[in-house]
Amino acid sequence: MEAEERSVRMGSVAAHPLAELLECPADAGNLLNGSAKALEVAAGDVVFRQDDICKGLYVVVSGLFLRKAERLKTRLTLGPARIGDLVELAAALGDGHHTYTLSAQSSGSLLLLSIEALNKVFENYPPLRMRLLEELAREVSRGYLSCCLNRTVHTRRRAGGVEPA
Amino acid sequence: MSNQPRLNSLGLHFSPLDLLLRGILADPHLRSRYEIYFPQTTGPTMALMHSHHPPEDCQNCEHRHLRMFCNLTPEALADYDGIGIMMSHARGAKLFTEGDPARNVFVICYGQVKISSTSRDGKTMILKIAGPGDVMGLSAVLANVPHEVTAEAIEPCQVKTVRKQEFVDFLGRHGIASMHAAQALSGEYLTVFHDAKRLALSGSAAGRLARLLLDWGRTSANGKPEIKFTMALTHEEIANMAGTSRETVTRLLNQFRRDQWITIKGTSLTIVKPDQLERLTA
Repeated sequence: MEAEERSVRMGSVAAHPLAELLECPADAGNLLNGSAKALEVAAGDVVFRQDDICKGLYVVVSGLFLRKAERLKTRLTLGPARIGDLVELAAALGDGHHTYTLSAQSSGSLLLLSIEALNKVFENYPPLRMRLLEELAREVSRGYLSCCLNRTVHTRRRAGGVEPA
Repeated sequence: MSNQPRLNSLGLHFSPLDLLLRGILADPHLRSRYEIYFPQTTGPTMALMHSHHPPEDCQNCEHRHLRMFCNLTPEALADYDGIGIMMSHARGAKLFTEGDPARNVFVICYGQVKISSTSRDGKTMILKIAGPGDVMGLSAVLANVPHEVTAEAIEPCQVKTVRKQEFVDFLGRHGIASMHAAQALSGEYLTVFHDAKRLALSGSAAGRLARLLLDWGRTSANGKPEIKFTMALTHEEIANMAGTSRETVTRLLNQFRRDQWITIKGTSLTIVKPDQLERLTA
């Protein structure tokens, strides 16, 4: 039952298809396409680092990538970025600084939609910004659900100095 | 402040009889001095906000430059001032509950709000303590899903409450507001993962509590050498954040104090030996 509930709730905040998210009028679409730059990476390469200035929105075309963040002295692994994922909505829509580090787990490629082109499209076609903001909100909601919905906090209890099996 | 209470528009439950009994609606002088709010979950109790509190309008708020969301351009700020209402909440009032439909976005003007999630077996995990300038309910409103968490005032607070559609329209009109909303969302995102990691990966209760104290201390110190902060939570609430029991929190805090790693004076906690606490978190 719990798994079913989890599946329903996760389904309600599932990422929307890329084509739907980036759908915009022809002139805006041409502007985005024109600015798109293909990036090839090898395993272990860092695509961008946390706090660096964001060059734009990344779309994973091939390969597997990992998102990691640091806060105070703690390092966090936020999870993988897979083919078709829009990467760094928060930075592209926010203050322009990367909120985490993205590194390649395998060789692959990404498409970079420049921040200048995005901002121009946002001005000419504001619904695109709103749609991407909603996608970011779904990403946050997925984070909440994956962390809270089915969480299990195991507090280790020692009995006579022996760790439980 | 408007003389017309706009609480109905938010779908909140309040009794006009209660208002009339207190003679506030009937008295234009009183009506202009107070904003009235009946918390949804606490029945007919009432929190009154006196007019000498921080200004009702965001344009004259002296704190907004320090706050992430409301530090807007003059044009956007004037528009922001025209939407939503300012509400005061008593300690313990629930602003929204996990699973409730997300109808409003909440921006804290002053005070602190506990953000928590409860499991089916009744265990509560406190995810964060939201403070002035923080935006609550944003992800649920924009993702069009029920609230993922519960928000409860841990001290008297003032919160700007904006209806979902009003807020979405406002974001659509002002690029800077969308930008700030994105920043708020990314902050929320990292907080969620950070808290999950603190609970899932720190092996011992002492390690989790030490991590919590260090986080609060370093955030509050903001680069200053002295790591000191005000502990607004009860031991029970700290236990809910650290994934342990109230008794363990009390015992560990006493232990840290005896070892002279921390000092506690009233609600003020100073971390004297951060390295020792750091070792526990490893």
